[in-house]
Amino acid sequence: MSARAPEGAGLTTVLALPQWRGAVVLAGEPEGVEVARVVLLEASERLLDGGAQEALVVLPGLGWRSAPAWQLDALLRRAADAGARAVLVAGTGPLPDPTRLLCTRLDLCVLGSGAALLDLAAAAAVHLAAPEVTAARAVLGVARAVADGRVSGPVPLVELCSQLLGAPVAVADASGSVLHGDRSLSVPRPAEAVPQRERTPSPDGVPSTTAARPVLLPGVRSVQRWLVARVPGAPAPLLGTAEDVLAAASTALAGWLAADRTAVERDARGRAALLADVLRLTGEPSPELRQRAAAAGWPLSGWHVGVRVRTGSATDVAGLRHEVVRRCDEVGLQLVVVEHGDGWSGWWSTERSPSAVEVRQLAVRFRRLHDALRRLTGCATGVGRPHHGPAGVAQTLSESADAALLAAGRADQERFLHVDQLGVAQTLLAWTRTETFEPAARSLLEPLLADASLVRTLGAYLDSESSLAETAAVLGVHRNTVAQRVARIERLLGVSLSDHEQRLALQLACRAVQLGR
Amino acid sequence: MGDPLDDDGWAVRDVSAADCPALVRGADVLGSGGGGDARPAGLLFAHAVGRGSVQLLDPDRAADHAVSFVGMVGAASAFTEELPGGGEFARALGAVERWTGERASALASIEAAGLNGVTALATAVSCGLPVVDVDLCGRALPRLEQFSLAVVDGGLPPVALALPGGQVLVVEGGDGPRCERVVRAALAAEGGWAAIATAPVRRGGWPLVGPVRTTRRCLQLGAALERLEPTAGGDEVAAALGGRVLGAGRVVEVARRAGAGFGRGSACVRDRRTSALLRLEMENEYLVAFDDGAPVATTPDLLVVLERRTARVVACDRLRRGDDVVVLQLPAAAFWARGEHGASVAPRSFGLDVDPVLMPQPAGAVW
Repeated sequence: MSARAPEGAGLTTVLALPQWRGAVVLAGEPEGVEVARVVLLEASERLLDGGAQEALVVLPGLGWRSAPAWQLDALLRRAADAGARAVLVAGTGPLPDPTRLLCTRLDLCVLGSGAALLDLAAAAAVHLAAPEVTAARAVLGVARAVADGRVSGPVPLVELCSQLLGAPVAVADASGSVLHGDRSLSVPRPAEAVPQRERTPSPDGVPSTTAARPVLLPGVRSVQRWLVARVPGAPAPLLGTAEDVLAAASTALAGWLAADRTAVERDARGRAALLADVLRLTGEPSPELRQRAAAAGWPLSGWHVGVRVRTGSATDVAGLRHEVVRRCDEVGLQLVVVEHGDGWSGWWSTERSPSAVEVRQLAVRFRRLHDALRRLTGCATGVGRPHHGPAGVAQTLSESADAALLAAGRADQERFLHVDQLGVAQTLLAWTRTETFEPAARSLLEPLLADASLVRTLGAYLDSESSLAETAAVLGVHRNTVAQRVARIERLLGVSLSDHEQRLALQLACRAVQLGR
Repeated sequence: MGDPLDDDGWAVRDVSAADCPALVRGADVLGSGGGGDARPAGLLFAHAVGRGSVQLLDPDRAADHAVSFVGMVGAASAFTEELPGGGEFARALGAVERWTGERASALASIEAAGLNGVTALATAVSCGLPVVDVDLCGRALPRLEQFSLAVVDGGLPPVALALPGGQVLVVEGGDGPRCERVVRAALAAEGGWAAIATAPVRRGGWPLVGPVRTTRRCLQLGAALERLEPTAGGDEVAAALGGRVLGAGRVVEVARRAGAGFGRGSACVRDRRTSALLRLEMENEYLVAFDDGAPVATTPDLLVVLERRTARVVACDRLRRGDDVVVLQLPAAAFWARGEHGASVAPRSFGLDVDPVLMPQPAGAVW
C-alpha cells in the first residue's frame, strides 16, 4: 500500500484529476473526505484484513451493478467497518435510495465512473503518493512542448494548457479582453499586475475559480498579456496545478513577446532616426533622404499638419505605437506616426493647400484622437498649422510641440491645444518651460535657492517694475527688508539689477523655477 | 426442558373452533412472511369442526402412530383464488393410502405455519383422525427438498397430490430436489396448488424426524398476540412473542425482481429511533435482515414484519412502501437451530452468501 500522503489527499483533489473527469458522486459528500490509499478490491475478504484504513476502495467490474442490492450494502458496510472513506464503483447510474441512505449513515462517499476503473485507481494512487506529480507532469508538458518547438505561438499554447488542465484557458491583452482561447474568460482585476484568483461561476453556473497570471517583460513595467484559466470547483482542487501551468506558459509567452518587442524597437529606432533627419531639413531633402522617406511611406511633398502627443516617461511608447495607429484609423486620420521622445509625433499630408474648412474638420479629428488616446494613457496633445514642402514637416511639428508643451498645463482644455489658440507671447513663454530651459534657469538662480524667500522676493521685485514699496506690499514685509534682500541678491548673483538684459533673464528664470515647483 | 406429559393439558389438546383466532394469528407469525394467509384455512377448519374438536397429540405420546403429513403445496394466492372444494385433502390421503396399502392412524401438517398451520387440522375433522404435533418445517419453507423428512432420509416417502381440478398424482422415488421438480411442474401445468399427503410414516422418536410442537407454539404465539393491548409497542410485542425487535419504522423501498425460481425481493425499513437502515431480503419468506448492511438475523430464525398499529403480520407479498412496521426476530425451531440439519435452511440454501445469525434458543422451549 502506498504511504500516507503528506498533503492534498482530499477526495476532491482526486476527483479533480484529469483521469477522473466524468466520475460522479453517487452517494455521500466528497467535501472534507481525506483518503490516504487506494485499495483495489478483487475479493471482499481483503477488507477483513483491516487494510482499508482511510482508503479509497475500488470495486472493479460491473458485477456490483447487477448483483442484489444487499450485496453492495453488505460490502459498503464491511468497507466502512474496515475504515474505508470512499468507494469507487463502475457505472454512473444512480444507486438505489436505501443504499444512498446507508452511505450517509456510514459516512461513506460512493463514486461512479464509466471509464476504466483501473486507470482511475492508478491515477488516484499516484496522486495520493505524491500530489505534486500531477502538477509537475502538466508543467513538464508545457515546458517540453515549447522546448521541442511543437508549440510556437499563443494559440497552440492556449490549446495545450487547456488540454493539460481539462479547463478553458485564454490569453488576454493588458486590458483583460481575450485575444486567443475561451472568450468567456476574463481577468478579475486587470489594473493590478499581480497573479490573481477569483471565484467565478462558469457560464453554465458551475462553481469555478478563475486564475489569472500577468505576463511581464524585464524592464517594462506595464503588463503585456494575461494568461487566464477557469478550473471547476470553488475552492478548486486543481487551482494549484492551473497556476503552475500558467506560470510555465507565461515564461514561454514572455519569450515570444520579447522577440516581437525587439522587432518593434528596431523599427522604432529606424523611424526615430529618419524623423531626426526630416526635422533637420531646411531646404530640399537629399535624394537619399527622399528614398528612405519613400521606403517608410512618409510623404514629404505637399502640405502637412503636425501633431505631437506627449505622455509620461512611464509609458511604453514603442509598445503602444500600434494602438495609436489603430486609434488614428478609428477616427479616420491617415497619419505618419513616429515614436519621438516621451510620446509620438505625426503628421497628416495633402497634395494641395487645405482650406479653412478642411483645417477645422482636421482639428475635430485630432481632438477625437486625443480623447481616444487619453483613455489609453494620460497625455497632452498639440496640433500645428499647415506648412508646405519637406521643410514644412519640421515647421508644423515644431508648432505642435509648442502647443503640446502648453497643453500639459491646460487641464481646463483637457490638455489639447491647437497652435492657433496661442498668442506669440504665450508661445515664447512656453519656451521657458522646456526641459532645456528649466535646468538653465535653475543654475542661474542656484545661489539663491538655499533661501526660498530670496527667489520670491526677486520675482516680486521684477514683476513690480523694480519698486521697493510695491514689492514690500506684495510680500507683506518692510521696504527696508526688501532693499536689504535686493542688495543680497545682487551680491550673491554678482549682477546689477539695473541692467535690463540681466533683469529680463532673471525674470524668465524666476518664472521657470517658480512654475517648476 | 419441562416434561410435556406433566403439562397442563398439552399431552392431548382438543382444538376447537374457539382456538381459531389464535391459531390463525400464530400461524401467520410462524410463516416468517410466507406460508400463505392462514385465514381462509382457518375458516375452512372452523366450518368443518363446528361444535366439535380435533385431538392434538403431543409427539411424545404418538410414537405408535402411522402419521401421514398433509397440507397444501403451491401458490397460496392461487389457493385463495381457486378455493378448495373441501375434499382435496381427504382425496390425497386416500390416494396415498391406496398406493401404499397402509392406513394412517393420525395426521400431521407438512408445515405448521401459514395456511398449512391449519389445513391438517381441517383435514383431520373430515377424516376423523387425531393430529400429531410434529411437522416437516417448523416455519414456512418454500421447497419440498427442505422438508425435514427429505433432509433426514435423503428423499421423501411416496406423496399423493390432489389438484383442485380433480386429478390425483402419486409421486414416488427420487430424491428431494427431483420430487420438488416434478411437483412444481404439475402445479405450473394445472391449478397452481394441490393438496398433498405423504405415505404414513412410523418413527420411534418424532423429534428426530422434524420440528415438534409447532402447532402448540402457534397457539401460544397467537394467544399472546390476542392478549396484547391494542396500544402495545414493538418491545412489548417482541417480549410477548419471545423475540427481539430488529427495527421499527416506515418501509422506504420495496424492490422485487423475477428470478429463475421464486421471485426475489428486498425491502428497506428506516428505523424511526436510530435512522438505521434495515434491509429485509426475501424470497417467499423474509430470509435475512441487514442492519446498515451488516447481517443481523437470518433464516431459519423467523423474521416477522408486523403492522405497527395493529400487530398484524405483513406477508412478503403484501409489504408496500410507506407501511409503518415493526420487524421482529423469533428463534427457530430447535430441529433446525440445534441439529445438524441447519444447512439446508440456512441463507446459503437460498443463494444468499451470508453466515447464519440466529437468536439463542430460549431456556425451557419445548419446540
